[in-house]
Amino acid sequence: MLASASDLLTYLADLIETLERYAVTLLPPSDADEVGLEQEPDGSLVIDLEGRLPAPRSSKDVDLLLFERWREVDQDAWLCVEYRYELRHHELHYRLALHRHDEAHFVRHFGVATHEHCEVTMGVETCGHYVGEPVIDAFDAFDRLYGAWLSDQKPDCSVLQCLG
Amino acid sequence: MAKLYYTPKEVAEILDISDDAVLDLVNRRTLPALRVSPRITRISIAAFDLWREGYTPRRRRVSIRPAPRKVVGGEHETLPAPRRMVRA
Repeated sequence: MLASASDLLTYLADLIETLERYAVTLLPPSDADEVGLEQEPDGSLVIDLEGRLPAPRSSKDVDLLLFERWREVDQDAWLCVEYRYELRHHELHYRLALHRHDEAHFVRHFGVATHEHCEVTMGVETCGHYVGEPVIDAFDAFDRLYGAWLSDQKPDCSVLQCLG
Repeated sequence: MAKLYYTPKEVAEILDISDDAVLDLVNRRTLPALRVSPRITRISIAAFDLWREGYTPRRRRVSIRPAPRKVVGGEHETLPAPRRMVRA
């Protein structure tokens, strides 16, 4: 889906507002009054947010990371070419990640553009990459990761299809 | 396990309104909730508490700006500690 730069600014502001409505604590610099849609030296625009889910006080942190890279493919027409959305649950010690990056490599080797990471024990990979259902946008990713967190259970990685 | 969410029925009891009224708040996106499936809705307790307090996130000003330069270190590599300036 293509978006103008103005659309992306609104998208980022809406995203931050949604995260905060769901009691996510944004970490600096995204907690400031003015937030940047960051332009990298290659011209791409990057959304890079990090937050903490509202874990009970006695719990360890639950980190949420939302990253997107948008490239201009036509005059003020931007396309999301990469995403990395992650949940790192330090209390239950698991990691879930929804990724699309290095698309040509993944299509060539696995026949898919998107993949997931699922670590029942954070840092221990039973499978390097799982088939990943494409994520529509950061709101969709947030719903999926927030839903996983709300269940308060470790993920069942065995239901996913391992790519290798 | 910690309880992290309410069902619409539990929220209805807390607010003393009907289940349908809760779902209406969810459908109108007034009450932050998560649709797990067409039949299952979960309401984060933390988000519900904020909503009940009347919390409204402040709208951020968003602008395009150059990405900050990131210093990337190799594995097992650490940056030198910043030097302390000592006034004579």
